[in-house]
Amino acid sequence: MLAETLLVARKDLRVEWRAKVALGQVAPLALLILVVLAFALDANSSLLELGAGGLYWVAVLYGGTLLIQRSFDVETDDGNMDAFRMSAIGAPSLFLGKSLALFVQIGLLELVLGSGIALLYNVRVTDWVLLFVAAVAGTVAFSVCGVLWGVMSAGLRVRATLLPLLLVPVLAPILLAGSRAFETALGVRADAGWTWASLMFVIAAIHTAIGLGAFGFLLEEG
Amino acid sequence: MTSTTRSNAKMTATPATRVLGVLAIAATALMAVLGLFISPADVIQGEAVRMLYLHVPSIWIAYGAFVLTSVSSILFLRARKRREDQGRHYDRLAGSAAEVGVVFTGITLITGMLWGKVTWGTYWQWDARLTTTILLFVTYLGYLALRRLPADPMVRSQRAAVMALISFINVPIVHYSVDWWRTLHQKASLSVGRRPEITGEMYWTLLYSTLAVTIVATWLMIHRYRVIRLEELRDEEALAALISSRLKNDDGSN
Amino acid sequence: MSEVTTVVTGWGITFIIVATYSMWVVSRGKIIGQELGIGEMEQADPGKDADATTDL
Repeated sequence: MLAETLLVARKDLRVEWRAKVALGQVAPLALLILVVLAFALDANSSLLELGAGGLYWVAVLYGGTLLIQRSFDVETDDGNMDAFRMSAIGAPSLFLGKSLALFVQIGLLELVLGSGIALLYNVRVTDWVLLFVAAVAGTVAFSVCGVLWGVMSAGLRVRATLLPLLLVPVLAPILLAGSRAFETALGVRADAGWTWASLMFVIAAIHTAIGLGAFGFLLEEG
Repeated sequence: MTSTTRSNAKMTATPATRVLGVLAIAATALMAVLGLFISPADVIQGEAVRMLYLHVPSIWIAYGAFVLTSVSSILFLRARKRREDQGRHYDRLAGSAAEVGVVFTGITLITGMLWGKVTWGTYWQWDARLTTTILLFVTYLGYLALRRLPADPMVRSQRAAVMALISFINVPIVHYSVDWWRTLHQKASLSVGRRPEITGEMYWTLLYSTLAVTIVATWLMIHRYRVIRLEELRDEEALAALISSRLKNDDGSN
Repeated sequence: MSEVTTVVTGWGITFIIVATYSMWVVSRGKIIGQELGIGEMEQADPGKDADATTDL
């Protein structure tokens, strides 16, 4: 199963590496979102510093949704879903593999956005460990949910608008937890950063369990 | 006019549901009289308490409907390979319950906001319950959107069923995280007076309203279920017509 | 807004929503039924179904 998982992840990342959509289009767009958010807040430097944690996750949400969309468009455009169904690769490995690939891509996006808020919003990190753990927890939760809902809307005609509608309510707790944890790590809020980070791990664990169990149902065709 | 000719004219009614419909109107009328005129104004909240006779039953119905959606979804996923109708009965039940649930969640939000305006002085508070409810509302709107998409009916129903289950599991996650958020950082003034003590006549009015709203919701769900069945019949017929016209064309060209 | 206006607004909106939704459900059923030719033996006469459309 581990081998299958890695195989799927490697395949996804290779496809992505060739197309370079994540780094070439999504990351610059997400950076642009950071700029636009600064416009919205009238570039008020104290507001930006206070809100940096939350604005960061909003930008991740935006860019991440695009990456999730793409991760499944690549499959359905080429009819890969049928190939998967025919291949010996089990639904759980497929789920984990695609989650892993998304984790890497969203992680890269977050590195770009992290430098973005550091430079543009002038934040100071007070707790690097918490920042790192919260980012990892949030990214795991994000990728797992993303794969689960990505396959839900895969191959449907209006998926471009459906996916965000389905995804955002599910990601809301992660966004909430990620923003609060980041605020603690960036020293603008005193409390409970670690509680929020662990909440994200719990959410990730629950959705991983659901994904392992339900992914087969979502792949079935008729 | 006899009831048989009329049931021919009206597709989704049967004598039994017509009785239920009349009962629903009567129950609602009595509910309005009790809630708006007979029950007293509250000592603290004044007349605003009358909003709760709609607000509280609506959210109960909404939650009940979403529970029904989840249970039917599980039954659908279990039955889809075995039963003769491929579990479509449960799928229709899930769909109609979710739609009625969304309608009543909407009513909950509207009545809640109006109640908040007079009681808190503002339409919206970032209160845990309100925030959870609006996320619930959007989640099930998404579920209904997924059900409406043009796709193979079985594929769509399967995905919708899984979505209903995940959404239901998500309700407590959303609720607790939002609750945590508000209690960890809340200013004390926000938590004051969310639910007043309800006793005596107000209590009975509230209990009765819940019954009346339940009758209304049941009527709605039954009819919606029948409409979904008709929609399925129509789609099947359209598909059959398409296939036969193709076959005819093939015959003509050969 | 005074308390009474708010209460009236709230109840009013609720009744409108429920009435509209139930009318939509019933009429949709009727339209599809006619398309399918199930309910054609009696042509729909709006007045006839007044009780159904006000069923809440």
